[in-house]
Amino acid sequence: MKSKTVKAGPVNLERFKTPVAYNPMLWVIGTLFVALLPQLASMPATLVVLTLAPMVWRTVAEVRGWKPLPTLLRLAFTLATLVLLVNTYGNLLGRRAAVGLLSVMLALKLLETFRARDARVVASLSLFLCATQFLFDQGMIMLVYGAACSIFALIAFALIARTEAFARIRQPAPPGRGILSELTFGSRLMLLAVPLGVALFLFFPRWGSPLWGLPERSLDSKTGLSDSMAPGSIQSLFMDDSPAFRVSFRGDVPGNEALYWRGPVMWDFDGRQWEAGRSWGRALEAEVLPAREDVDYRYEVQLEPHERHWLFALDYPAFKPPEARRLTRDFQLLTRRAVTDLMTYEVASDVDFLDSPDLEGPLRTMALNLPEGFNPRTRELMAQWRSETPSDPALVRRALAHFNEQPFRYTLNPPLLSRHSVDEFLFDTREGFCEHYASAFTIMMRMAGIPARVVTGYQGGWYNERSGYLLVRQSDAHAWAEVWLAGVGWTRIDPTAAVAPSRVEDGALDALGGRRHWLDYEWVREFRNGMDWMNRAWNDWVIAFDAARQSGMLGFLGVERLDARALVLLLALAMVLTALLVTPWLLRLGRNRERDPVVRHWRRFLERLAGAGAPVSPTMGPLEVAAAAGTMPESDTRDVMRITQAYLEVRYASRAEGRDDLLRDLKRFRPGSNR
Amino acid sequence: MARSVVIPSSLAAPNAAGKSGSRLAARLRKLWPGDALRDRVLERVRRRRGSQDLPFTLAYRNIFVLPTWFGTGFGLLLVLTALGGLNFNNNLALLLVFVLGSLAQMTNLLAYRNLTGLTLMAIRSEPVFAGDPLHLQVQLNNPDDRYRYSLELALARASTGDCRDLAPGAQDTFRLSLATERRGWLAVPPLRLQTRYPLAVFHVWSWLFPEQRCLVYPVPAKNPPPLPASGDGRSGSARRGAGDQVYGLRNYRPGDTLKHIAWRTSARHDQLYTKQMETPQEASCVLDFNRLEGRDTEERLSVLTAWVLMAEHRTLPYRLVLPGKTLPADSGPAHRAACLEALALFD
Repeated sequence: MKSKTVKAGPVNLERFKTPVAYNPMLWVIGTLFVALLPQLASMPATLVVLTLAPMVWRTVAEVRGWKPLPTLLRLAFTLATLVLLVNTYGNLLGRRAAVGLLSVMLALKLLETFRARDARVVASLSLFLCATQFLFDQGMIMLVYGAACSIFALIAFALIARTEAFARIRQPAPPGRGILSELTFGSRLMLLAVPLGVALFLFFPRWGSPLWGLPERSLDSKTGLSDSMAPGSIQSLFMDDSPAFRVSFRGDVPGNEALYWRGPVMWDFDGRQWEAGRSWGRALEAEVLPAREDVDYRYEVQLEPHERHWLFALDYPAFKPPEARRLTRDFQLLTRRAVTDLMTYEVASDVDFLDSPDLEGPLRTMALNLPEGFNPRTRELMAQWRSETPSDPALVRRALAHFNEQPFRYTLNPPLLSRHSVDEFLFDTREGFCEHYASAFTIMMRMAGIPARVVTGYQGGWYNERSGYLLVRQSDAHAWAEVWLAGVGWTRIDPTAAVAPSRVEDGALDALGGRRHWLDYEWVREFRNGMDWMNRAWNDWVIAFDAARQSGMLGFLGVERLDARALVLLLALAMVLTALLVTPWLLRLGRNRERDPVVRHWRRFLERLAGAGAPVSPTMGPLEVAAAAGTMPESDTRDVMRITQAYLEVRYASRAEGRDDLLRDLKRFRPGSNR
Repeated sequence: MARSVVIPSSLAAPNAAGKSGSRLAARLRKLWPGDALRDRVLERVRRRRGSQDLPFTLAYRNIFVLPTWFGTGFGLLLVLTALGGLNFNNNLALLLVFVLGSLAQMTNLLAYRNLTGLTLMAIRSEPVFAGDPLHLQVQLNNPDDRYRYSLELALARASTGDCRDLAPGAQDTFRLSLATERRGWLAVPPLRLQTRYPLAVFHVWSWLFPEQRCLVYPVPAKNPPPLPASGDGRSGSARRGAGDQVYGLRNYRPGDTLKHIAWRTSARHDQLYTKQMETPQEASCVLDFNRLEGRDTEERLSVLTAWVLMAEHRTLPYRLVLPGKTLPADSGPAHRAACLEALALFD
């Protein structure tokens, strides 16, 4: 016979009138939707609408049985979306933009997804999309998100496979045992995969350093401090309750009023905003560091990724942690690469350090520099104060007293300021947030000829008594000033504290009063802060797990360092163990276990007889066994006849009363035992 | 649960993008030596394992596993994601990849488990005339107490066949059709029992070589000469039991039809009588291979086949005379089958 070959063509996912729960296409759309959730939350509304539109169309098309849209229309829609995407993000190099592109393209792909193959591509890439979301956030909630994506995708894959198999014979897939039992089965499978997955997670050799880094320009700013400060920039952080970093102190915990976490230092004022970018202080390495024996506080900081270069420390960091590249002359800690992953570093601070006993040359000029033509009224006032108060410290005290005595108000909603912002703030509005006070005070000092600069960072934090660490949230962002005074060097002055002392003692929330949003109650905040230890543990145990942690993983067993070979061996061991545990369950190859105990014991009875040499085989019926009983030893014949008779009655005449006796006899019977 | 099947026209006419894609895929597939490779492996396996007597139970040595194209692609995607995750030490991404990877790998056991232990019970087929498709009814039994999903059975060299689920302990018939070309015995070609359950990441299959043959009758001639006139003029015995002529009466027995009760006679006597009927016997015809001169053997067999069908249609008794074999005059399905079998196997 000639061999005839029939080619397998692509299989359409035929639209049968199947219940919604079994429709693979709807599950694919569902997978994509779940995978998109975090991305949708971060996209502008127009893009959200453009991403959801194809998904809605495809869903309705699936339910109503619409035809695919004409190619031209789809092309036009795709182009329009791309243009809008480029318009929104500027370029497509940023991570957000690239992931946005992936999201939009996947949604558009749905418009032409009518085949099993395309459906699988969409579901697989949805899982990839899910993985990209972990670049932005690795919080605990993302674990739930990842699990949800996986379960949706697995159900979609299973339904596609099933529909495809039956579509080849142009039949709808029968429901089998029902979707619920499939779901339980799927979750059980997932549970089985977890031990193996965790083994891989623990023992798969990690890379000590990345092979390639993220290009700097592909970073998208996250909320957090920035390297410039304009009125309103810190105020916007005040609404953000996400953690900035957590600190565990070794030894003493400083009081709240000492918790000034130093971030970017601003030297340049252009009339409207402060900038740190071009300043010298940042480029120069600190020359004199606090002596190690003077250190007051030692602590470990677990910094959430903020995609900027600075690390935070209390004044004044005594040494440069290995993670930092530079400890600058204005005591900022800067890293080589932007902090894109959770980072833990140890640092120590000396509170009483004398920073820059001398300030000469360009640094001094910079600390006094002000653009011409701004704030004439303030300039006039400062000239007057200078003539009345020749001593620098006295002038500083006078300025602080001015803030304290005049009716200044600390508020979250200050009026907008125009060109002469300091003039308007000092003489007219007198309402502002910390950045208004810090900025105005620094400018006043510079006008009076006292070198001054603005420092931004965080102030305070919430101390978790139970777990013993300090939680600093974005809403703790703060700005203060530093003036240089002969003999004491750079000195921290917080003009906000002069206006609202409770800001420093109790935190910004208490200083302002009122609620920021509808859920902003004291007990909610307490609860959230109290629950933060879980996030910290998650960060500690899961997110911070890297090559270094991996090699020290078995430290408690006395194994100092695990190298790649040891890890691979451990991994193999773990895999073999899991395989030994899991495979028998999955295969369960044993013959079907009989549910009826009578039948089960009957079979065992026959096996015993056959084992004792009786002419009986396990496939014999009771009548045949009875016929064979005559050839058995005398003592057995009676028992076998009795048992066989009882079995006949119980099993075929459905007599229930003899059942227990029969079971007992079957269990008890041993060939030759009566002899 | 009966459901109506709707096959929308939109899916029957795929869009332009899909068409060009499939054209490219078809060209690529031509380069892929899959079919030739498969035939060679199939031949080797057949030689190693030999034919199988039914019933035949699938064991691990009969079952093959390979990743599907989708499985390969999905694996690649996971590897790429893992590389990214390792580079940025993104632990959640790694966890996702590792769990999904383990899970996808585990489905190969499930797919294997879906096939192993199945029993090929029997293959039945009704004889057909050469050129007509032969319908194979393949009986598969699931002896275990678990569901078997999406079992696809096809001829080893064809892509489509039949697809069914088997409930615990259930037995079901898969229907395949097989092209026939010439008369005689047709050996059942190798079969492929496959499944992509549960996720289509792995393709698990078994080749079956059942020791089984099916009968194919000769093609009936298109325009056969008229049935030969009744043979030698000798009329045969009448067929008793049915017909429209009465040849006698007997006592009524329960089960006799009312139509045949001799009501008048019965009224005259004190009991019921049943009329005994007969059909007057027409002279039987003789279908003789040797009388068909001027044709080759196959043509003669075709004509004889057509004659058998015609005679059967007219309920004429017929006698089939082949060189070396003669079937006595008779009619009815058994006779027809015997004659057609003799024709099919003539050599």
